[in-house]
Amino acid sequence: MLNGFKNPGRIALIGGSSEIGMAIVTQLPENKSRQVILVDRIGEYALDVTDKAGRERVVARLFDEGDVDLVVIAVGLLGNNTELSMADNLVAAMEVNYVGTVHLLELIAERMKKQAHGQILAISSFAQVRPRPDNFRYGSTKAGLDFYARGLALALDGTGVSLKILRPGFVRSKMTAGMDNAPFAITVQECGSYGVRALTSRRLVTWAPSLLKYVAFVFKSLPPMIFRKISSR
Amino acid sequence: MSTTSSSEFSGWGKNFQSRSERVALSSIDELQGLLTKAGRGRGFLPIGLHRSYGDSALNSGGTLIDLSALNTISIDASTGVAVVGAGVTITQLERAALMHSLFPPVVPGTGFVTMGGAIAADIHGKSHHRTGTFSACVRRIKLLLASGAIADYTPEDAEFWATVGGLGLTGAVLEVELQLKSVKSNSADVTERRVKNLAEMIDVLGGADADFEHTVAWIDLSGDYRGRGVVSLGNYGATSVKSKDSNSAGPKLPSIAGKNFITPLSVRAFNEIWFRKPLKNGPVALGKYMHPLDGINEWNNIYGRDGFLQYQFVIDIGKEEIFERLFAGLRSLKAASFLGVLKKFGEQSQAPMSFPRRGWTLTLDYSTKVPGLEKFLQEFDEELVAAGGRIYLIKDSRVSPSLIPAMYPELNKWREIRRTMDPTGLWQSDQARRLHLC
Repeated sequence: MLNGFKNPGRIALIGGSSEIGMAIVTQLPENKSRQVILVDRIGEYALDVTDKAGRERVVARLFDEGDVDLVVIAVGLLGNNTELSMADNLVAAMEVNYVGTVHLLELIAERMKKQAHGQILAISSFAQVRPRPDNFRYGSTKAGLDFYARGLALALDGTGVSLKILRPGFVRSKMTAGMDNAPFAITVQECGSYGVRALTSRRLVTWAPSLLKYVAFVFKSLPPMIFRKISSR
Repeated sequence: MSTTSSSEFSGWGKNFQSRSERVALSSIDELQGLLTKAGRGRGFLPIGLHRSYGDSALNSGGTLIDLSALNTISIDASTGVAVVGAGVTITQLERAALMHSLFPPVVPGTGFVTMGGAIAADIHGKSHHRTGTFSACVRRIKLLLASGAIADYTPEDAEFWATVGGLGLTGAVLEVELQLKSVKSNSADVTERRVKNLAEMIDVLGGADADFEHTVAWIDLSGDYRGRGVVSLGNYGATSVKSKDSNSAGPKLPSIAGKNFITPLSVRAFNEIWFRKPLKNGPVALGKYMHPLDGINEWNNIYGRDGFLQYQFVIDIGKEEIFERLFAGLRSLKAASFLGVLKKFGEQSQAPMSFPRRGWTLTLDYSTKVPGLEKFLQEFDEELVAAGGRIYLIKDSRVSPSLIPAMYPELNKWREIRRTMDPTGLWQSDQARRLHLC
């Protein structure tokens, strides 16, 4: 249960080795009775996010063992594995970022509706704002997730369950190691604190950093000719 | 016919919402039917008027059973024995009893508590040092069990004591038989004394036990946090006074844009005025004296949409040094409380989960938005447990479950009796889930 300070007690972090996920969970206000369950490829709650039966099994177990107050879904693939073809990278990213994550959201929302309370944090991306030649494949998987999550948030109105979306820009992490810093790059810890803010925000979407909200607006508003020039640089 | 609605409910602290179904039942038959027919889901919880501050009377995803239809009062004026429905409030019982020059011996700070709630919390009042808790005047309870069976329990039964203070988790109280006390009038003879610090307050309160039936102190925990305040002492009076005869509270305090008006500055200003108010000396209507908070309806709106929490604990006599540490901590957080109450308890009841026991009890109200308060209270809880103290669960929404067995050493005994009364875990609450009570 949330406690009287609206502080979650039992938390599941799906993507237990995600740096952003961990940064969010560790920056939540201290709660001595907190239990954080890490769902990852290995460990007690092992899950291969691309395995449908595995997703069903893990979600059922999490909720059968007790109420879950907060689920942070922090799984994601950039799809830049040099050993795979472009097409295979795309499929892998789709399976994790869209199919796996959306299915998890659906299963978790169903169980949370039964307990009539709980919070879900889904991690989308700035990449889904507008397709760019360098990251539209990854961006499309996040766009699908983002679209679904916004719809689910509406569908959850009045159920006692709330869903929030975090849209980070470029985060300097293991996932982006070796890549050039994009503008407005932030650290994992900074991104985590935006995640914590997202949970108490009244808004559905929290950008990390906040300025990206306006950048996204500009991005979407630019005429195609100009956008093409900027994004092909 | 029963009416069912689904919506959000809060405890009196309004510090969080819980969504559940509420079924208002018109008869006991109907209730039995509901329990035996309905799918179990997230369980059932009998509720009263949601005067518990935290999540004791919430059951998210489950069903709340509203028993306010059980509202009969029958009083035998010759013996002073009352048989009262579970939905009757303390104020309603007081009014009915006063017509026969009787009065419930134990009443809490608000009259808007039902008989069912009074049993579930084993409430106490200003008279605890003399009379003990509410259960001390109860001779019998009629309880609806999870099986649908109805049983009468008396203080001879373990089930009686498991239900007293049992937070509604052993069954639904349907009826209470209690022994009223005879009084000469509808008033209390009240004496108030100003005290300049905690030491003096403890001195005056402790020394008043023998001479006064009702003792309590308002303590100012703002400004210099020295614990100045007003000690209020009373006995049942002999002269009747005019009193307002209505079942509703005073004017309603509206919620103004969900804003919190409790700040260190506003509390300090209020407390300064309260400390200097003219002292009462003489007869005061019993209802007004016993339930000072009922003068303003929905006063809990003053804390705004984020709500507040009430922290009440008891500590042994001789362990008063813990107050100093608490006050120093609250002062450093600039956490100001405008409803601080200190009271000396008498003996503990037999109920394993009943809160009061011999010692000092302090009650404080705080906005949940005081920075650092959550962490501080978690640390203070540990100090409290180390000193042998405990907190009152009917007020709680934030204690760590790991501390409950130390605070309530008879928890396991209670669990065992509860299990025999509700083997399938039909009765549930958010608090029971949060604190792993069952």
